[in-house]
Amino acid sequence: METTFDSLLLGFSVALQPSVLWYAFLGCLVGTLVGMLPGIGPLAGISILLPVTYGLEPTKAIVMLAGIYYGSQYGGSTTSILMRIPGEAASVMTCIDGYAMAQKGRAGAALCIAAVGSFIAGTLSVIALTVVAPPLANFALRFGPPEYTALLVLGLIFLAYMSSTSLVRTLLMASVGLLLGTIGIDVMTGHFRYSFDIKELGDGIGIVPVAVGLFGLGEILSKASKDVTGDVIRPKLRELLPSREEWRQSAMPITRGTVLGFLIGIVPGSAHIISSFLSYAIEKRIANHPEEFGKGAVAGVAGPESANNAASTGAFVPMLALGIPTGPVTAVLIAALLLHGIPAGPMLVNEHPQVFWGFVASMYVGNLMLLALNLPLVGMFVNVLRIKYYYLYPLIIMFCIIGVYEVNNSIIDVWIMLIMGVFGYLLRKFDFDPAPLVLGLVITPTFELSLRQSLVMSSGDWTIFFQRPIAATLFAVSAILLLLAAYSAFSRRDWRAKLAEVEAADKG
Amino acid sequence: MILRRDHIAGGAFVAAGVLILAVSHDLPFGRLASPGAGMLPMLVIALMILFGLILVLQAGASQPIAEISWHDLPHAARVTAVAAAAASLYTTLGFVITMALLLFTLVYVIERRGLLAALAFSIPIPLVTYLAFEHALKTPLERGLLWF
Repeated sequence: METTFDSLLLGFSVALQPSVLWYAFLGCLVGTLVGMLPGIGPLAGISILLPVTYGLEPTKAIVMLAGIYYGSQYGGSTTSILMRIPGEAASVMTCIDGYAMAQKGRAGAALCIAAVGSFIAGTLSVIALTVVAPPLANFALRFGPPEYTALLVLGLIFLAYMSSTSLVRTLLMASVGLLLGTIGIDVMTGHFRYSFDIKELGDGIGIVPVAVGLFGLGEILSKASKDVTGDVIRPKLRELLPSREEWRQSAMPITRGTVLGFLIGIVPGSAHIISSFLSYAIEKRIANHPEEFGKGAVAGVAGPESANNAASTGAFVPMLALGIPTGPVTAVLIAALLLHGIPAGPMLVNEHPQVFWGFVASMYVGNLMLLALNLPLVGMFVNVLRIKYYYLYPLIIMFCIIGVYEVNNSIIDVWIMLIMGVFGYLLRKFDFDPAPLVLGLVITPTFELSLRQSLVMSSGDWTIFFQRPIAATLFAVSAILLLLAAYSAFSRRDWRAKLAEVEAADKG
Repeated sequence: MILRRDHIAGGAFVAAGVLILAVSHDLPFGRLASPGAGMLPMLVIALMILFGLILVLQAGASQPIAEISWHDLPHAARVTAVAAAAASLYTTLGFVITMALLLFTLVYVIERRGLLAALAFSIPIPLVTYLAFEHALKTPLERGLLWF
């Protein structure tokens, strides 16, 4: 514990440097805007700004990009409460009671509860991350190729199990991602795979053009003809403070949301979306007056907002400690670290302590910044929501092209982004979630290498995966999840079906 | 039989899987003790075809294909065409000219906003963005034909 404290002090000595503080602030500011603006989520925001970080030191780069991620969770609540439009997917549940509170003249209180709940959840989750990640990283040093293979399989199965779309659809998308990940030179044999004599494809397909295409351009193509800006309720600064009763009603939902969100954040899947849904469902289930939900219940804002912020921090645990992405956003963050020559995973904490602890410490500071940004400046941010969508989406397309092109100065990447944008549009039409595809693409190199290394080291004996205790346990958990998913598919009435209904209702 | 959403989606993935399998003939599968470059792609293609088939078999519960709304397709196609034109011109014309044309076309031609508003929007924004990337972010953008 003393070592952790000393390391955290080292982290603060990095995070409190003026230049690092500046990039943390920039990340939080951009994240708030990204979260507020419908049509551009944290993934597209991070991907677009990835090239900007090339000239930066790794710590500053990751601090800024992570600031965008958790900043977007804060920003999303503003649009939900004031316009009943989720700025990003995790804010769907906040729309219901947040907007109802705003209609009752309690917009300021709803924003304050959302911001304070997010702050408490974010800070407590960073404390948990500080405690959990280093020992987990040390444990992961025992992992060899079979364990990594089993862990990645578990990650994909978990993602499929947690997904609100069907198991088959999720695994199908993950398969497409894995297949895309095999494009390029095979590192073990030097074979060119599916590159069709296009030399740029020799290095494989980058995650940035795929992610920006699927989530940035694909979203715009699906939504472009709609004018997504509507009437904005403008909160008054003096109305920002909730009443004593509202504070009392929000205390326990914030606590429960924090614990739930952090735990769900650790497992793969769209954790922040699932955590906010589950938090809302739990609060409604245990409320003394469940009939108030949907009509402006304080717990309906406090719980989900805390949960989605805690989940976004929880997602950093496997990313930092194991080098395993739990979703597309953490996958892009891992790619960002790799671009700076720093692999995420067990070696990060030992070989790059300044990056690891500087990043962790910056999250404490970032949460404070976000609280300051999201309360007093909310009136200013509201003006951003007045930008008409027919001016906004051309700008987003421009930044998508800049972001993708600048990664490798490759126009082929821009074409890949366009193709992925059209593919993303079609996937939405056919009710596929593109997130597992991105995850599949990201894990392919590690998965393929560890799978083949495992087989080589066992001379082709596939039972190696069941002879080693950690790998066998991970595969057993995967099997149990598959059985549970199959059972749910037959019963058709579990929490994921309800989540799908809520998402469908929101889209409608 | 009513053609449903998952008949089309599943069928498309099965067809894509078969097609990719056909162009994968030069990739060696290897042996378990010495896996080749084709092992993972083959396994993944097999899974893709399998999941595609399951989707087709379960398609009865999905929406009829005729009920999928395509009202936004013409707009999406126009936006894609403009973005594709911008991608074609980007390295030749450079960032400022290409993006000014992209923004102007989207705002004036596609969205039918006023000429002055479109010009006021599409000319300064690429210039300011270029200068911000060049000087503040130290990430130079494509210069193209002109000095910038």
